[in-house]
Amino acid sequence: MSTGWSLWVMFLVVLNLGITFFLFLWGPRAKIPTQPDGTSGHVWAHGVLREGVRRLPMWWILFSGAMFVAAFIYLVLYPGFGNHKGSLGWTSHGQLADEQAENQSKLEPLMQRFALYTPEQLAGDPAAQQLGKVLFEDNCAACHQRSGKGNMQLGAPNLTDQDWLYGGSGKDITTSIHDGRNGVMPAWASLGEETVNNLAQYVLGLSGSPHDAKMAAAAEPIFKSTCAACHGPDGKGNQALGAPNLTDQIWLHGGTLADITKTIHDGRQGHMPNWDKRLSEQQIHVLAAYVYHLSHPDAGAPE
Amino acid sequence: MAYKHFEAIEKHAGLLGVGIAIMVSLGGLAEITPLFVEAHSLKAPPNVHPYDPLRLAGKDIYVREGCYLCHSQMIRALRFETQRYGHYSTAEESVYDRPFQWGSKRTGPDLARVGGKYSDDWQRMHLMDPRSVVPQSNMPGFPWLAKAGIDGADIQARMRVLRKLGDPYSDAEIAAAPEAVKGKTEMDALIAYLQGLGIANEPTKPDAAPASDGGAP
Repeated sequence: MSTGWSLWVMFLVVLNLGITFFLFLWGPRAKIPTQPDGTSGHVWAHGVLREGVRRLPMWWILFSGAMFVAAFIYLVLYPGFGNHKGSLGWTSHGQLADEQAENQSKLEPLMQRFALYTPEQLAGDPAAQQLGKVLFEDNCAACHQRSGKGNMQLGAPNLTDQDWLYGGSGKDITTSIHDGRNGVMPAWASLGEETVNNLAQYVLGLSGSPHDAKMAAAAEPIFKSTCAACHGPDGKGNQALGAPNLTDQIWLHGGTLADITKTIHDGRQGHMPNWDKRLSEQQIHVLAAYVYHLSHPDAGAPE
Repeated sequence: MAYKHFEAIEKHAGLLGVGIAIMVSLGGLAEITPLFVEAHSLKAPPNVHPYDPLRLAGKDIYVREGCYLCHSQMIRALRFETQRYGHYSTAEESVYDRPFQWGSKRTGPDLARVGGKYSDDWQRMHLMDPRSVVPQSNMPGFPWLAKAGIDGADIQARMRVLRKLGDPYSDAEIAAAPEAVKGKTEMDALIAYLQGLGIANEPTKPDAAPASDGGAP
């Protein structure tokens, strides 16, 4: 605050307290003209109400005086009187830093213990799970749901099963959270409607679902030459690319004929944001343990 | 002051009103005016830029739809806020927000640093039907945004007005605005705005001090 504004604030504080102080001194001593009947002569409601004359009660005077003194003590200790910083040196940002440091010192022993273990080992640790649950619900649940079962409409994978797009080890999960993932299924509309429909039947066949064998057979050479690049010749996927396994009954974007046709025709873009800027390494470690726990609920506490 | 002066104030409602107004405004004059005047002299730090045309359109949609009635964009310097939302907000971050979106009304979460927290697809689904991604949400859906287009000339006019108010838009930027919003829906603009919140202008390190206290304490 500039000196001019500081003086402005000081002036107003003095003015405000000055008026209050004046009223405080003057009020109890003011000579109030009293009528013979003991009232001030003020009447309301056509004479029904008449105002009596009474001194201020002592408790009120003492209470007000204490408030006045408290105001002075406050202005000495805390910022408020222009640029005066207050003898305690308090700032809101300073208090925040203190509280953060205090919290960190409470968490530190816990985090140091967590750092000794891999996410797999921490999956059965009650403290890690408790902390991880809070972080998960605050950050991950919007897409993966609180239960971790994912959201097929969005293409957010189920984290509670044994099927992993990018690998299910503690290290892989940590990388997925830390760096994020971008899944890209290109749009194959350019292959033509007939080929897309045939491919959808072939993909249904891969997972053992009811399908049109004739259409599927027609699409096999195209699958082997085009789709196999990511999903593999047998359709089992590739975790290095995040290409899903097509031979199981787990579907990221839905497993009906219409869903599969849309996926092939229009492509799909999955985006898992990177959390390295938003969460600390320690928090990501705990979260990875929590996510591992979701698909390994029977994991025991670390030795 | 004798009693008759006091009596005059007490007996005349107009005089009493003026006296009350003076006493009540003293606090405001001390607390609001210095910060109000100094806020206008705030300069944007190097990492804070005026909104590009699409995000500018998105910001105005955000205001028009009343998002601020439930969402603040001000992370206070309190531990339980910085832990959940990130570094506390500073005044410099909002120099190009007209009007600013601070506040304390939080039916929904603070959005000051929501950019990048969710994917574009999530934002789209959430704005179309919030319960499709957050079952317990009580936010209304905004499906009509996906149907409404953006008028490039209108955005240009807004940029010109903002330039008059001091935002450093160049002629080339204004000329390129219609191209930038061409074919975009209001939904695209709002998502672009939300995905930019707090990203470019966040103080670089999580615990680094901001460029200034932004009117602290």
